[in-house]
This record gives sequence, structure tokens and C-alpha cells, in this order.
Amino acid sequence: MEDLNLTLNEKEALLFLEQKGTASPADIADETSLKIENATQASFLLEEKGLAEVKDEVSEKYHLSSEGTEYAEKGLPERQVLNGIDGPTSIKDLQEMLSPGMVGIATGWLKRKGWASIEKGNIIPAADVSETADEIALAKLGETAVSLEETGIDQKVMKDLIKRKLVEKEETKSRTITITADGQKIAASGLELTEDITQLTSRMLKSGEWKNKTFRSYNIDKPPKKVFAAKVHPYQRLIDQMRQIFLEMGFTEIKGDIIQSSFWNFDALFQPQDHPAREMQDTFHLESRSQLPGEYVETVCSMHEKGGDIESRGWGGKWDSDVAKRNVLRTHTTSVSIKHLADNPEPPVKAFCIDRAYRRETIDPTHTPEFEQLEGVVMDRNMSFANLLGCLKEFYHRMGFENVRFRPGYFPYTEPSVEPEVYIEELGWVELGGAGIFRKEVTEPLGIKEPVLAWGLGVSRLAMLRLGLKDLRELYQSDIEWLRRSPVCKL
Amino acid sequence: MPIITLDYEDLEKLTGTDRDSIIDRVPMIGADIERLEENSIDIEFFPDRPDLYSVEGVSRAMRGFMDIETGPVKYDINDSDVEISLDDDIKNIRPVLGCAIVRGVKFTESSIKSLMDLQESLHWGLGRNRKKVSIGVHDLSGIKPPFKYIGADPSVEFVPLDFTEPMNLAEILEKHPKGTRFAHLLEGYSKYPLILDANDQVLSFPPIINGTLTMVDKNTTDLFIDVTGLSGEVYTALNIVVAALADRGGRIESVKINYPGGESKITPDLSPEKRIISMDEVKSLVGMDLTSEEVAGHLRKMRYAASPADTNAVEIEIPPYRADILHNYDIIEDIAISVGFDNIEAIFPSTSTTGEAHPLSLMQDNIREIMIGLGYSEVMPFTLTSEKVHFDNMRRPHTEDVTPVMHPISEDQTMIRTTLLPNQLEILSLNQHHELPQRIFEVGEAIVDCTNKLHLAATSIHALANFEEIREIVDSMMMERNVPYSAKASEDPAFIEGRRADILVNGIKVGVMGEIHPQVILNFGLGQPVVGFEINLDE
Repeated sequence: MEDLNLTLNEKEALLFLEQKGTASPADIADETSLKIENATQASFLLEEKGLAEVKDEVSEKYHLSSEGTEYAEKGLPERQVLNGIDGPTSIKDLQEMLSPGMVGIATGWLKRKGWASIEKGNIIPAADVSETADEIALAKLGETAVSLEETGIDQKVMKDLIKRKLVEKEETKSRTITITADGQKIAASGLELTEDITQLTSRMLKSGEWKNKTFRSYNIDKPPKKVFAAKVHPYQRLIDQMRQIFLEMGFTEIKGDIIQSSFWNFDALFQPQDHPAREMQDTFHLESRSQLPGEYVETVCSMHEKGGDIESRGWGGKWDSDVAKRNVLRTHTTSVSIKHLADNPEPPVKAFCIDRAYRRETIDPTHTPEFEQLEGVVMDRNMSFANLLGCLKEFYHRMGFENVRFRPGYFPYTEPSVEPEVYIEELGWVELGGAGIFRKEVTEPLGIKEPVLAWGLGVSRLAMLRLGLKDLRELYQSDIEWLRRSPVCKL
Repeated sequence: MPIITLDYEDLEKLTGTDRDSIIDRVPMIGADIERLEENSIDIEFFPDRPDLYSVEGVSRAMRGFMDIETGPVKYDINDSDVEISLDDDIKNIRPVLGCAIVRGVKFTESSIKSLMDLQESLHWGLGRNRKKVSIGVHDLSGIKPPFKYIGADPSVEFVPLDFTEPMNLAEILEKHPKGTRFAHLLEGYSKYPLILDANDQVLSFPPIINGTLTMVDKNTTDLFIDVTGLSGEVYTALNIVVAALADRGGRIESVKINYPGGESKITPDLSPEKRIISMDEVKSLVGMDLTSEEVAGHLRKMRYAASPADTNAVEIEIPPYRADILHNYDIIEDIAISVGFDNIEAIFPSTSTTGEAHPLSLMQDNIREIMIGLGYSEVMPFTLTSEKVHFDNMRRPHTEDVTPVMHPISEDQTMIRTTLLPNQLEILSLNQHHELPQRIFEVGEAIVDCTNKLHLAATSIHALANFEEIREIVDSMMMERNVPYSAKASEDPAFIEGRRADILVNGIKVGVMGEIHPQVILNFGLGQPVVGFEINLDE
């Protein structure tokens, strides 16, 4: 026979049941060392193993209430009234005889039972007022509870009495445990009354007690209670994956201020001062102003107004340094990389930045006013468009995208400009960013002599694809249950 | 960016091929297909190519790109005897003017709509909402040259489009829908731009509205076009419009513009700008070897005139309707587009460099390791918030070091945070239906006095959260950071008095910890004790 792994309590209960056949938990507790709750628990465990059956029964018993006891003695109020009069009597007179409350109850029942009629405040008794079923029942009941069967009272009559609050019902639950044939067999096979080890203790280790005992087994099929690991946010994990890729490709990580002057956010990138993207409806403008970097103001101004000293037309018009001083919440991290290039004009420069950018967008499932951007730049001798495509392809391949294609794009500060797309099953070609070679109008005024390859990638879009989210807001307004149930190794 | 609706029938007829071939190739010239309708297609073109804002312009480009007809389109211009003179007043209001006459146009409903759409897209794209460029197209039949472009008194009257009664210029700015919309462009002027014919009939009130007199309909065959504005874009816009009309069979005639000083100018000027491109430039930008023959071929596909000058150079002529060619770079991009970006071999740069993580990122990595080890999960909330959440809900006084945004989109996002704790209480309040305890942290940026500050904040919510719990966490975190610190009774009103402490490093306050004040808990709609801390990691 398989190892049933009985606890000491189960063994004691089973041996007791072997003798009695059927018993209540109280019986077991009386005759063994177990307390009632242990006897009950052991019984259920025995039942799980098919060694005993536990049966719960509820029995209903009835006894008179204090009011019921009074009426059993004196008669029901309606009977008391009838007994007290011998012809039509006014209610007023009655109220002098009995208490007004009693008369109220009595008149109601007199009418309902048809024992009397009431006309113009007079009670007129009927002819037939013989004993009714409730009166018989009342007489049969006492203060000790009895079952319905014992009294032989009709169920409906009992219900009415309970409704009149003359009888109270009490429910008693009884539990009986009966040994099964299997239980008999096990008990007969002989049980040793020793306790298995449930928890190994330092005392047992010291005493060596564990050597003579067996360990209680656990039910390994029982599902465990859920506990959750604290973890890095899945979105941060994705960002770290990208950081790692760029570090492996030999890029330096850069960071910069969230608040940037319009100069670094727009003007240094050859965005004309009347460009729609600079307007209030697209950009978060601030009241504060920045100092302009003196060494670049003239060259940037000249490039905007007339194309500087290179063969460019520029944008024409007048470039206003006050407009350039206005601070904004950076609309792209390109403001960080262009500043880095201006500060580090010696090639080679390979830098990247993954940080937050801000656009004046109304929040909806696919737009948020703040989002992460991945920015990368390569400045070196002889860099070409072919090298830009090489950097993009390498990055996307390392991110796990097999199929990458390139389409013409447009950004005011790059030429040529390209929109890389990756192929995703079920979605087709998905645009994942923008890239290009910085225009000479951008690099010349800052003293950058070599070509600059640059790209920006909307990280949050990629995160939605990778994390299976339908709403961008879920990245920022964390649902803790979602965090708890996002496996670390899913990415 | 403008989305252009192209009628399939028009597109097929003007391009000379079927719609499926065009739809297949059009994204590769630089456009995003927005949606396909039964009879038309909506395409978004880039703001640097206003010449593609019409079915005529797209067809012209696609004929070249798909090798149906390459090289430049030749546009003949005949002289007309029509003249227009400017007066002294207009010089200071809206001085740049370009005009043309186009005869023999056969309009259909769809081609009138296409012309109007082109006008609107140019107003937006080149014209910065009519400020720099506005265009008027007139039926020539009811008006008599020579014309005048003057600064007129606001009391001059005419019947504007969409109205039946005469209005004066001031009334138009106040009452006409176009007037109210664009009145700001004429703010501060005592006289307004006006174009009149020889009999003083009004053609147009630029940049606001045309007169009904010259309204174009299906019977119109001869057009007078005026483009007014502030800069050279005026002439480009004029070229784009006349080229589109000529593509439909119109004959272009020039107009002589007389300036007050006696000078004059003939428009439109469709003579191309000439440039020379060297193969070295092409090679260095594209990163691909191409012969001058090949380069010339690609440029002709992009509708330039191009011929090899020698093995190392190509002489080219830029189409007069192109607005985007500021520099040779722009021409070389067209070569790359014609080659096809996917036909350029992608080469990872060969220069060897070493990568280096930013110290702040490394610090954040360490902080994450510590906080996760202590059982706290990371969150990444928004940094935009409101004074109500940031200060009022926290029972904290408003501070001066905060950065408000000037035109918030909603009352929930009026400023950039200076601390991280309020965001976390918001996140806890969003998660009340989930099991407790909840323990979260963020390592992220706050903006104090316009400068980034790296902060760490953490909160714990459950029935037994108390000061000792957070005190232990802060102690462990500071030990792991290897930063000696001390704690001192705090006065931060966001916490319960007697259960709050400032965190000091070298005697300077860098943070605060404690049991969140019951009123703060209630302000965030929470119903359980919360403890938390926040420190500035820069100090």
C-alpha cells in the first residue's frame, strides 16, 4: 500500500474510529489526546485520503418563547378576549378589561380567524370558536427544544407561530465521522503512534532525534501562494538593452538638461525661427531665458540669414537672438547631441543618449507629452550615407529585427534624411525613427568639420511593440499587478 | 504636414501609368501613404517639397522617377502686354509681388479643386499660414489691365468672396471669416494691400480674400495669378502654380511689374538655377561609387537637366519649382533617392572606438540594484504635474524654484516636478485594487531652478507601515551607497510630526523620510498608512 503519510493525530483518530465505527469530533476528543479542533482537522485529512467519511447534518428544534410560554398558560390573546365576554362588547370596554396592546393584537387575530366581527367599535363574537391548530401546538411545546417530528406539528402552523414570535427555532449542526473499509484495513495493519517531523529544528539536529523519525511529505501538487519579485521596470530593462548595444558598439553615453534654450533645441539645428514646430501649440515654452553661447551666435545667425560662408541660401529674413534665448522643454534629445558635438569637435565622436523629450501633445493611447528618445551621432572623417545605413542596420539587427528597409524622410537639419523601417509579423513595415547626415548649415557654424551621422528613435513605440501594450500611458502610469506579472526574462 | 488628395483618374492620366504601379513606388520618392479611398488616395508629402502638393506635381515627379519621361519639363513663356504697378505705400506693408497669366485652361470640377488645394497647401507650407506667401487666382475675362498693387485706405469697398454686398476693408477684417482669421497679419498698418484693375475694380485684398468679380468657375479659360508676400518664396510659389497649370495644357504668359522708382521685373521667371556637382562630393556624401554618366541619369529621373561635364563633374539645372535646394547636399539626396536607399550598401564605420557609460547612468544602475534588493519595484512616472498635486495635496508650500510651462495642455500638467514623492502617491492611488503591501521606487530627474537633479524616492503602503520600516530602508540604502549620513527631526508638513526626519550628509539636508501625513494620504484618495523617503543623489 502506498505511503499515506498519516500524521500522529490522524493515526490516533483512525485507531479510535476502528473501535467505534462512527463518532463525533467531540467523542474523539474525549477518548484520545486530541483537542476537538485537531480531531476535526484529522477527520477531514482522513476523508481526503479515503479512510473516513465526514458527514455534516443540521437539525432544527423548536421551543416556546417567553411570550409563547405565557400564552400556553393563559391562552392566546384572542382566546382571552373571547373568554372574557359573552356578547357584543365595545373595544373601549375591552381596553379597560385587558391592556390596550393586548386588545390590539387580539382584535387582529379575532378578525383573521373569523372568531368575531367588528362593527362600529363593537366586537361581535362568532358562533363557532372551537380550539384551533395553533392552540393545540402551543400546548404540545415547552421550553425544551424538540424536533418537528417529535411534536407532530404541521410545518405551516409552526411557521405561523414563529412569525408571531411565540416559538423560536434553533439549529444545531452535528458532525459524524465514519471509518471506511480502507480505513479499517489501514488501522488493522497496525499503526505506530510516533510523530513525523513537520519542521526540522536546530534542537533535532543537535539531539540527532531526526535519525529515528520520518519527515512528513508535502503535497507537491498543491499550487503555491503567489509571491512577486521586486524588479527593474520592464521599460527600463528595454532601455538598458539599447544602452548596452551602443556601449558594445563603442559609443559614449551623454546626458543633458531637460530645459534647453531655443538656440540649442532649434537654431543650432538650422530650424528656421518661423518654423511651425517652434510654435506654442507644439512646444512647451518656458518663461525663463538662457545666455547664448557667445562663440556661436554670429556664425549661427549668419547661416540662418544668408547661408554663412558655404554655398547655401540660408533661410533669409532676420535672425533674432531674443527668440533663441527663450527656454523650452527639449523637444528632442538632439539638443544634447549637437551641444556635445560643438564641445567636442575633434573626430572621431561616437555618442548616444536615451532620455526624455517633451512635446505639447494631448494625452491619448498613442500620444503622451513626454516620451523617451534614443539619439545617436557619429562624427568622423569620410563618414557617408552608406555608413549611416550601416549603423542603423547593425543596431536594429542587434535589437532582433531581421528585416530592415530604408525610405526617404525629411528632417530640417539632415540631408539626406532617411526613415528606417523594420518588418514585424502581423504589422508589416513599421517606421521606428528618423536619421540623416547633419546639414552643413548645422555643422559649419559650430566648427564641426567632419560629417555627422545622426539618428533618433522613438523608444516608447518600440516598447509598446515589445511589451505588448496597447496604450502608451501604461508605461508611465504603472499598474503594479502588470509589473508583478511581467517576467524579467521576457525581453 | 500637408496631406494631398490625389484623384486616381487624374493621377493615371497625367502620369501615364496605372495606379498600382504608382502606389507601389510613391513611398520611395519620400512620402507616406495615409489612406486609400475608392477613387482617390491621400498622401502626406514632406514640407520641403511644396512642388508635390498637387496631382500635377506628383505626376511630373513620378513620370521621371518611374522612367516614363526624364529630364526637365520645358515650360514656354510668351510675353503678354499686361503690366502691374506698385505704389509707394505697399513697399512697407507687403512688398514682394509675382504675377502671371495662364491661358487656354480647361477646368473640370476636380481640377478646380486640385488648384484650390494646391493654393491652400502652399499657403501653409511655403507661406507660413499666408504670412510669407498668399496666392490669388482670377478669371481674367471680366477685368481690364493694367493692374495696380497699392496700399489702400481701409474705407475702400468691394464684394468679397462668399458675400453678396460690398464691404469695406476694415469691415472685412472684422466680419468676414477669412478676415477675422488672418487680420493679425495686417495688424499695425493704417493702409491695406489691394489689387485693382484699370477701372479700379478690386481683384484681391491680399493676404485676406479675393473679390467675387474674378471668381474662377468651370467656364474660366484665362487666368491672372497674383502672389504677394515678404520674401523670395513668393516667386517659387508662383512657379509651382504656373507649372501645375501648364502641365494641364495651359499657356504661360509673363507680366511686367513696375516699381515706383522706375525699375521693373518680368515674372514668372522659370529659368533654372545652374550648378556643378563633382563626383567627389557625391561619393563622400552617399558613400558609393557612381560615374558622372550614372549621376546625370539619376538626376534626370528626378527631373533635373543634367549632363556630364567630364568624368568628375555633372552640370545641372535645378527645376524652377523646387523650393528645397539650399545646398548641393539637397541635390545629392535626390541622387540617392533615385538610386534607391536599399541599393546603397550599408557599411558600419570602421574607426575603432571604446564605449563609455555616463556616470549618472552608472549611479542609477547601482541605485536600482540596492532598491530592488530591498524589495522595492521600479516605476517611471511622468515628470509633468500640477501645483495642486505637487504642493497642495502634499500640504507643502509653493516654492520659487519650480518651472511652470507657459501654455499647459491640461490642468493636470502645468509644471515640471521638483520632487518625486507626489508622483508615487499618485501611482499608489491608481493601484488601490491590487494586493498590499506595495513598495515602489523611482530614480529619476527633478527640475530645480531650471537644472536637472537626480533624485531617488520610495514609498511603501500597507496596514502596518511605520516610521521604523522606512528608517531601516534609508539606513540600508545609505550604507550600500557608502555615504555616511545622519538624521534630524524634520518639519516637512507632508509627514506626521514626530515621525519624520531629514536626511543629512556632511550636515547638509539632502532628503527626508517618514510617515506620510494622514491628510496627504486622504488627499491622494488612499486608505492605508504610507511611509516614504526622497533624497537628492547629486549632493
